[in-house]
Amino acid sequence: MAFVAPKETYSGKVFEVTIGADKTAVFGGENVLPFYSFEGNVPHKPVIAYEIQDVPPEDWPETVKNVYEGVSGDPVTWAKYCQDKLNAQAIALRLVGTHPDRENRSSEDAAKTVKDVLSAINVPLIILGSNHIEKDSSVLVAVSEAAKGKNCIIGKAQEGNYKTIAAAAMANNHKLIAMSELDINLSKQLNILITQMGFDKERLITDPMCSALGYGLEYTYSVMERIRLAALAQNDATMQPPMLADVGMYVWKIKETQASEADLPMWGSLKERGIAWETVTAGSLLISGAEFLIMRHPEAIAAVEKFIEELM
Amino acid sequence: MALTGVEIFKLLPKTNCKKCGHPTCLAFAMKLAQRQASLDACPDVSEEAKKILGEASAPPIRSIAFGSGDKAVKMGEENVLFRHEKKFVNPCAFAVELKDSMSDDEINKIVDNVINSEIDRVGQKLRIDAICITNTSGDAGKFESVVKAVSANAPAVSLILSTSNPQAAEAALKAVADKKPILYGADESNADAMAAIAKNNKVILGIIAKGLDALTALTEKIKGLGVEDMVIDSGARTAKEILEANTYIRRAAIKKNFKALGYPVITFAQRDDKMLETLIATLGVTKYSSIVVLSSIEKWKDLALFTLRQNIYTDPQVPMQVEQKIYKIGETTADAPLTITTNFSLTYFIVSGEIENSKVPTRLAVMDCEGLSVLTAWAAGKFTASKIAQFIQESGIENEVAKKELIIPGYVAILSGAIEDKLPGWKVVVGPREANGLPAFLRARA
Amino acid sequence: MLIIGEKLSIIAKRVREAMIKKDKGPIQEIAIRQWKEGSGMIDANIGPAEDGGEELMQWMVTTIQEVVPLPVCLDTTNYQAIEAGLRVHNNEWGRPLINSTSNDPERFPILELAAKYNSQVIGLTVGKGGLPADAGERAAIAAEIMARAMEYGVPLEDIYLDPLVLQIATSQDHALKVIEAIKMFQEMNDPAMKTVVGLSNISNGCPKHIRPILNKYYFIMLMNAGLTAAIADAHEMAEAMQEKKLIDDVLAGKTLADAAKMTEITKTLDVIMGKTLYAHSYLEM
Repeated sequence: MAFVAPKETYSGKVFEVTIGADKTAVFGGENVLPFYSFEGNVPHKPVIAYEIQDVPPEDWPETVKNVYEGVSGDPVTWAKYCQDKLNAQAIALRLVGTHPDRENRSSEDAAKTVKDVLSAINVPLIILGSNHIEKDSSVLVAVSEAAKGKNCIIGKAQEGNYKTIAAAAMANNHKLIAMSELDINLSKQLNILITQMGFDKERLITDPMCSALGYGLEYTYSVMERIRLAALAQNDATMQPPMLADVGMYVWKIKETQASEADLPMWGSLKERGIAWETVTAGSLLISGAEFLIMRHPEAIAAVEKFIEELM
Repeated sequence: MALTGVEIFKLLPKTNCKKCGHPTCLAFAMKLAQRQASLDACPDVSEEAKKILGEASAPPIRSIAFGSGDKAVKMGEENVLFRHEKKFVNPCAFAVELKDSMSDDEINKIVDNVINSEIDRVGQKLRIDAICITNTSGDAGKFESVVKAVSANAPAVSLILSTSNPQAAEAALKAVADKKPILYGADESNADAMAAIAKNNKVILGIIAKGLDALTALTEKIKGLGVEDMVIDSGARTAKEILEANTYIRRAAIKKNFKALGYPVITFAQRDDKMLETLIATLGVTKYSSIVVLSSIEKWKDLALFTLRQNIYTDPQVPMQVEQKIYKIGETTADAPLTITTNFSLTYFIVSGEIENSKVPTRLAVMDCEGLSVLTAWAAGKFTASKIAQFIQESGIENEVAKKELIIPGYVAILSGAIEDKLPGWKVVVGPREANGLPAFLRARA
Repeated sequence: MLIIGEKLSIIAKRVREAMIKKDKGPIQEIAIRQWKEGSGMIDANIGPAEDGGEELMQWMVTTIQEVVPLPVCLDTTNYQAIEAGLRVHNNEWGRPLINSTSNDPERFPILELAAKYNSQVIGLTVGKGGLPADAGERAAIAAEIMARAMEYGVPLEDIYLDPLVLQIATSQDHALKVIEAIKMFQEMNDPAMKTVVGLSNISNGCPKHIRPILNKYYFIMLMNAGLTAAIADAHEMAEAMQEKKLIDDVLAGKTLADAAKMTEITKTLDVIMGKTLYAHSYLEM
């Protein structure tokens, strides 16, 4: 019996999102499963943003902290280093220093940091809060205004604070990350609630919540696959925004990226192990549907970018 | 097409003789429909029924056991394209390449590394499953001697013998045919000879053809020559080619019941760049390869890939569980609060994440409730006052805490009195219903 | 269709408080209301009831049967509590129903009770560790439960197979699998096996205003599949019966005169059948 390629075509399509004002980056736009260019259109590569933060990365493990030694004391220097030396396509600035249990930096401080970073770089900027529901809803409003006109991504809007954050992103013409916790139905619900405020669904990015390899990766993997299938096969417009995998933050806090080889000889070299952990987490989430990634280690990013090249 | 249990039942003897180990023919039929039983277990089934059932019950991807002994690897039998639909059945095997042109030292090192590759992770023993010996020397005698030596040094490890030379294949198989290796390298030019060797030695034949049309023609030809057990290679080597070929093969087998491609897939992922090789292997694990061949063994790479395979092949219907114990989150002192939840891994990940967010060092007692979430575990009688009390008592935690106070999830507030009755001297505090209420709750108490 | 009134559950605050205080008033009031609304049996769900379960179940059974001439469905994981309930159950009002046995070895002995007290019993098609993935797996478990029932001497006519309704808000694909399972279960014996569902679990976790909508339409779909009994809100099910024709018309592809109703039914059926992804606001989309 002759082989007939069992192609599948879908009625739905992922929204194409462009970010940035000077240099821009585009992702999404495909009408097939991730990298299935053999049966449809995959117009853009996924985009990887380098993660930096407003305060020195004292809580990052050595493997990834060392890479930024000498530049990470100041977010502007750090951002320029990622852009100019590492050729970052985008930069993700996480304002962890605003968290009440950290430095508790004010919204005004955060806005100033954002302005300073924006004036130093020309690649797109992603501005992330400290994941503190109440504090984010004031900080992210202030930084949205400070970044007006720069077509940034603001994140993350969650069930408990989406109203103020979405309103600020809308007023200042930014894109917005909507995050829910590993639940496809709540993810859809949050996207509905945000669009019901008048926020354009084509300016949203869905974050179904990342999990690290070995720490619930399969949940993120399957939620992403299901979101993508809903977008394509069911043509569900609420599930058609591109998806974010916020990889670095989840990977560089687990044991596998920190335990020394002396303590656990079976686990092999700590440096490669850490990089591989971020690489494999990112790689598998690309295959399950992420169009936009936030990562930390340049070698992991380089490997994933090569992988993307090969998949396109 | 697959038959339903009731349709199968109609073809069975309906004697309820129990010889198959099932209490009734109906129960046996239902198990057959699930492919959880084999028709061979029924001694009284008619030849006609056997024929109908045999065809209908063959899995869309042929079930093949590779290797022998307790480290044999099962391949095939997959039923779905996406893991959320139903469990991926047989985890992809990892093989490492060994060239017969290597020095003895290099060969011994690889063999040692394979033997010592076993790692224990979340209660499972994970290892490099096989060695793929490649006849790069082109010399049949050399190939034979290396295969023999590897087999002697690593008797339990499954082998892939990679050669397109029938003489080399014949020679090498002499020493290892009884271990059910894969003889990889049958192509359009040598199909007749290789099929005859595989058939005579009762080994699995690995076949390669460029593209899926040629591969289809070749599997059909080789099947016609009497070889049933095959692993297939479409020649895909780049990530893009692998994704396309593996997707089409899996879809053709499962959705079209296309038997000519209903075989396990072997993927060659070797790269000079080890991080990139790890990613190609990632693609193989997630997208339908049954065997992934790697160029080298590094412990960090093994750990990452073993973990990925474990994650992807987890049964989505069986909640992942974390170990029952009292976890310390942050720098806990005797004054740190003690909270309790169930061992459903998602519950654990979310609760522990929220405790981390709170920045309040906290003890989290995780109790074995067969992976159920709090409310479900309570309703099923697994997260009850006496079981919680017993767990806390047996944990010995009371010697480590300054204040005997236990924070329970708000959903089981109803249990607070009963736990206090069963845990003399303890105070039970009702925490928030949802994990995201924990940071505020813990901070308010700190 | 047998409706087993679901309202006497420990999960409900008012009922729980009445159980703790042994206050017959609210229990009897709710039992009477459910009877008048069309329940043919009353579910008494006392939870795991580790402490005082026997006494509580006896109190529930007698309290209910003092005021309504109906049998009781004894709903707990506590073996002794079930036995205690069976001992005082007034079989003049009909035979009791035990909720439930399953494929979890801990629940096998429940069948002994069914045999000993000539009770009917629900066979919940789940095993230990993990939920059934689809209708076929549910049927395979059903076959095991049926075989076990025969060993224990419980006639198959006394078994109600329960495919386990899961929450649509978290396990949407199971809504349809449960309907398929109901069809499969019936084929597994002649006369057809009886079936039951804990209906309201379908809408557990959904916003209050859409719960009755999901419950009712799902009930009609299960009924069309041949369901024998449902643990449900009798009031809601009576409403469902009044709307059955509308739902059947939509299922048959007809257009209803009432456009708003048509939309509500279509969207809900699409969610139940897995054609659109569930979200709490699905009716607003």
